[in-house]
Amino acid sequence: MSAAAAIAAPAPVSDTRRSGLALVVLLIAPIALVNALGFLVPVLNLARMSFYEVEPTGAMREVYTLATWLTVFQDTFYAELILNSITVSLGITLLTLVCSYPIALYLHRSSGTWRTILLVLVISPLLTSAVVRTYGWIAILSDSGLVNNALSAIGIAPLRLMFNKTGVVIGLTEILMPYMILALLAGFGRLDPRIEEAASTLGAPPFTIFRRIILPLTLPGIALGCLLCFVLAVSSFITPKLLGGGRVFLLATEIYDQAIVTLNWPLAATLSILVLVIFGGALVLYTRALRAIM
Amino acid sequence: MTDRITAAAAGQAGEGFLSLKGLTKRYGGFAAVDNLDLEVPKGELVAFLGPSGCGKTTSLRMIAGLVPATSGRIVVGGQDLTEVPTHRRDMGLVFQSYALFPHMSVARNVAFGLEMRKVGKDEIARRVKEAIALVHLSGKEEHRPGQLSGGQQQRVALARALVVRPSILLLDEPLSNLDAKLRDEMRNEIRDIQKRLGITAIFVTHDQVEALTMCDKVVVMNQGRLEQVGTPVDLYETPRTAFVAGFVGRSNRLKATARDGVAEFAGESFAAQAGLSGPVEIMVRPHRVALSAAGADVTAGDHRVSGIVARTIFAGDILQYDVDVAGQIVSVELATRGGETVLQPGAAVSLSWRRQDVFVYGAAA
Repeated sequence: MSAAAAIAAPAPVSDTRRSGLALVVLLIAPIALVNALGFLVPVLNLARMSFYEVEPTGAMREVYTLATWLTVFQDTFYAELILNSITVSLGITLLTLVCSYPIALYLHRSSGTWRTILLVLVISPLLTSAVVRTYGWIAILSDSGLVNNALSAIGIAPLRLMFNKTGVVIGLTEILMPYMILALLAGFGRLDPRIEEAASTLGAPPFTIFRRIILPLTLPGIALGCLLCFVLAVSSFITPKLLGGGRVFLLATEIYDQAIVTLNWPLAATLSILVLVIFGGALVLYTRALRAIM
Repeated sequence: MTDRITAAAAGQAGEGFLSLKGLTKRYGGFAAVDNLDLEVPKGELVAFLGPSGCGKTTSLRMIAGLVPATSGRIVVGGQDLTEVPTHRRDMGLVFQSYALFPHMSVARNVAFGLEMRKVGKDEIARRVKEAIALVHLSGKEEHRPGQLSGGQQQRVALARALVVRPSILLLDEPLSNLDAKLRDEMRNEIRDIQKRLGITAIFVTHDQVEALTMCDKVVVMNQGRLEQVGTPVDLYETPRTAFVAGFVGRSNRLKATARDGVAEFAGESFAAQAGLSGPVEIMVRPHRVALSAAGADVTAGDHRVSGIVARTIFAGDILQYDVDVAGQIVSVELATRGGETVLQPGAAVSLSWRRQDVFVYGAAA
């Protein structure tokens, strides 16, 4: 009986495995197709375009040249642009993390209707477009805005909060916070109040519990949130454009200008590929960090 | 220093090492724990036993400082800890869910409490090794909790709590997540370790077998109130309330009516509390009832009733009869010796039991 079963067993097992594989392929096929058409083909197109020649008149010719790439690597303006983009985005990511972490932790610990209400409040900004929210910030941060009016009312000299990095950082931080909070929440799965209580009974005061237990256990969420916000910060251009007022030079705004204003498509394509390279680097850092944490 | 000496003296005088004085926890109008008074002598293992929601875990969490008491005092070794935060209470707590630090190795988990106490590195290494050996996990020091079985994780939790030599070891249903075989093993192990270290321990459980077999004393709780405190034998042989009689061990509960301290059931009179009148419950344990076929020589016993066998259950070591007596079922358990006649349903039988095996309680309105 058992011998017969042992002989008969392999066939049905491999059958199920084969049909399982077929199902997986079938389920992945639509998204693979969409990604191929909507992402891979345009990116390859961009890569090709970055090698096209630009005539002095600005017209693009389908002749391959390294000229654009050489300009980008030789002109210090672009090196500064890339560095500026990375540092500003890192700063925004860090600030977003600091502002979002306590909110996410509180949300994680709340329950019932209260939690639902808070979650809706966190998500609700995503229901309005970033453009609308940026105009909201203009109303608050401009020279005659809410903050400066309040400051002048109590006799303090007005602050330059717009058309500089400060404005961009403030605006993007607020716009990215919902993403950060959701990513953090998703990564807080290992956090268990019993574990914190255990640490407390073992003699750990509250701050030590945070440092030795809560923070390490939430690192996966922090890594995920930072990756997401960094990518979103590097690629956002409406907020930097409006709050930066053309005085803050970032990769995304420069790509927009080259593509729409100057019509230098090869340059825009080259910078776009560079953004992709930066994202690739961020992804590598993220997986490295995750491996170190877990 | 003086505190320690008084504490030791108090311990010798038979007073509680841990005293709970009128300990109460209210959530709004609901009293989760209601005026709990308890003295636990040094070195004893005391069970908090009761159904879920009886307040046993809340009491434990108040002792640990994880839940603030609404009123009452918690005194350990003569020192009032009621207002002391958890991390300065010096207690060891073992959770049902283990609550190990998932990001730390077994050794780091066990070392945590010692690091908090600023113990020197060499001593930490030595004591962690000892504690891990104590729970038979040597060789697993560098494993992560996730790589261990439930039983092993609970051993790590035990080692982590014991390594700091806490004044009191608190165990919150530590065996509930383990399978039956492991549970028996851990039960003996926890008891052995507790005795060997002479540590005062509170063991919260809803399992009366755990409470009776492991603990020096059992505190039976129900609806936030203390029902009875006593040794396992006390609780089983002289349950003070209907709840204790019903919760500790199995009991037949027979509805009857009492008049002036005498309860009537199936033509037999049972002594109840003097002056008790109205509905009562008569309780007798199934294996304390003697059974004989009707007409046979009646076995010795203070009370006799007759009935008809309604159901026969042969469980190998035990032969159980459910006997219909005046419309109510009385279960009778007999230890099998081999060779006895198994009576079939419909057989007329007479039951008897001794006076000391009967408890009569006023029925709850």
